[in-house]
Amino acid sequence: MEQSEKSVQELKAELSKHGVFTTTFEEIYNWGRKNSVWPLTFGLACCAIEMIATTMARYDLARFGAEVFRASPRQADLIIVSGTVTKKMAPMVVRLYNQMPEPKYVISMGACAISGGPFRDGYNVLKGIDRYIPVDVHIPGCPPRPEALLDAFMTLQKKISEQQLTGEARPRHLKEDLPSEFTVPKYGEHGLEPPVNEEVWNPLKVLQ
Amino acid sequence: MFLLQNLAVTDARFGIDFLMISAVNLFITGTNPWPPIVALLVGALAFGLAPLALAWLWAVKYSPAKPGKEKNSIYECGLESPGDAWIQFKASYYLYAIIFLIFDVEAVFLLPFAVAYAGLPAGACVAMLVFLLLLVEGLMWACQKGVLQWS
Amino acid sequence: MSAETINTEKVKAAIEAAVRGCRVEILPNGSPSGQHSLILDNEHAVEAALFLRDNPELRLDYCSDVAGVDWLDKEVTEKVKVWKLVDGAEKEVEETRKSVTPGYLEAVYHLFSMEKKHGPVVLRLRTQDRGEGARVPSLTPVWRSAEFQEREAFDLYGIVFEGHPDLRRILMWDELKDHPMRKDYVAPPDEDEPAGAVAQEGGR
Repeated sequence: MEQSEKSVQELKAELSKHGVFTTTFEEIYNWGRKNSVWPLTFGLACCAIEMIATTMARYDLARFGAEVFRASPRQADLIIVSGTVTKKMAPMVVRLYNQMPEPKYVISMGACAISGGPFRDGYNVLKGIDRYIPVDVHIPGCPPRPEALLDAFMTLQKKISEQQLTGEARPRHLKEDLPSEFTVPKYGEHGLEPPVNEEVWNPLKVLQ
Repeated sequence: MFLLQNLAVTDARFGIDFLMISAVNLFITGTNPWPPIVALLVGALAFGLAPLALAWLWAVKYSPAKPGKEKNSIYECGLESPGDAWIQFKASYYLYAIIFLIFDVEAVFLLPFAVAYAGLPAGACVAMLVFLLLLVEGLMWACQKGVLQWS
Repeated sequence: MSAETINTEKVKAAIEAAVRGCRVEILPNGSPSGQHSLILDNEHAVEAALFLRDNPELRLDYCSDVAGVDWLDKEVTEKVKVWKLVDGAEKEVEETRKSVTPGYLEAVYHLFSMEKKHGPVVLRLRTQDRGEGARVPSLTPVWRSAEFQEREAFDLYGIVFEGHPDLRRILMWDELKDHPMRKDYVAPPDEDEPAGAVAQEGGR
């Protein structure tokens, strides 16, 4: 299998030298997807300002085909969770993510969105949005510079271009039995209920 | 469009057999102007429908549909939408909007008037004043009718 | 801060003269700013506030800030020398005594005068305790600007402002039972990664 894969790559490289370009269905499909990722118009805190700066002329997110910030989750492929997710806001973020059509991706931008950041020990801030929705790329920083967001975006593009159409390794949105919407937390008497979505949340574990 | 009308008319008059024959005739006789139009129409339709069909086929083959209660719910910036969207609005809103037009139109005409004011003959000034009077009259009338009273 | 600093003693005397039966206490502030505060008793607080607002000398027409403070129960141990009968003779003996001062909540109001350009006058209202009796009169009828800030103090400290027109939570959600800025507030047990997590298993 691996051998044939290798020879196919060699053949493609050889053909391209002679001016014949070949591709696979999967490749051209992913190429189209990764170059038209439309983010949702959605900002939470100071990171959103950096996100806006990224779309402007100096950093120009349009180079990556992602300049169309959609005003409705129905047309968006990507939600950039940019900023502090308060416990009061968390259900809205999850609901917006649920309302996006598949395939959908999440960039968790900034210290607050990935872990709660400086407000981690506070009573009102969620300790990372990855407790409720599956995050594809985390960006640390407070706030991350536009270059960091561009880097995260390119990481996401790489991730998209590596996704398979068939086989066991195909992503979540192509598998029939995996969910497309995730539990929306409810306001409880002492905090959010449930505090984490066990299906999604995959924390560090102590091995020793 | 003309073709469709034409066909529909022939269909109504002579029945489906005649329609078939006339359609075949259209394509065979070279002098007929319709064939290129029909070809264009079919091409345009195919252009529109083919991507949809391809996308549908693609979805059937690869990506399973996953509708859900939350996913299909009304989008309201992440909030749950309470109540019905079909509610009555007060008629006063529309009256206010129309009265706003008075000021809007006034501003649109007053600005060029003010710019050209120095070089205008007396007749133009009188015409402008009459125009203003008409607008203000409308406002006065609305005011007298009690439209500006918000209850 | 202010063009004219207000003499707290004078304000205290003025309130006591104007509002019959009002007990005013001065809480001195040792810092260089010297903004001493006035502790009003809850029965006469609204009346005294109206006096402060309407008195032509003071005209404190602007309430810039309402804050909440949580004072926990205080346990004081002190050594006292007592004369006691020991072995038939009276002797001076040292004893340790413990006394518990019950805690309370406090609402702090900062008042300025736009008209007279002076201030601040700091008012403090104290609740009886930190439980059922956590009630103070609302000063929203006197200063409209206190409305949202009293709601915030209610939300985060659980001070019930009696006479407030619309006392609801303002920052946290309505279903919450806790008052998170209280000193004894404990955040809900959280499924955090254990401290000092060193290695990652699996990954996502």
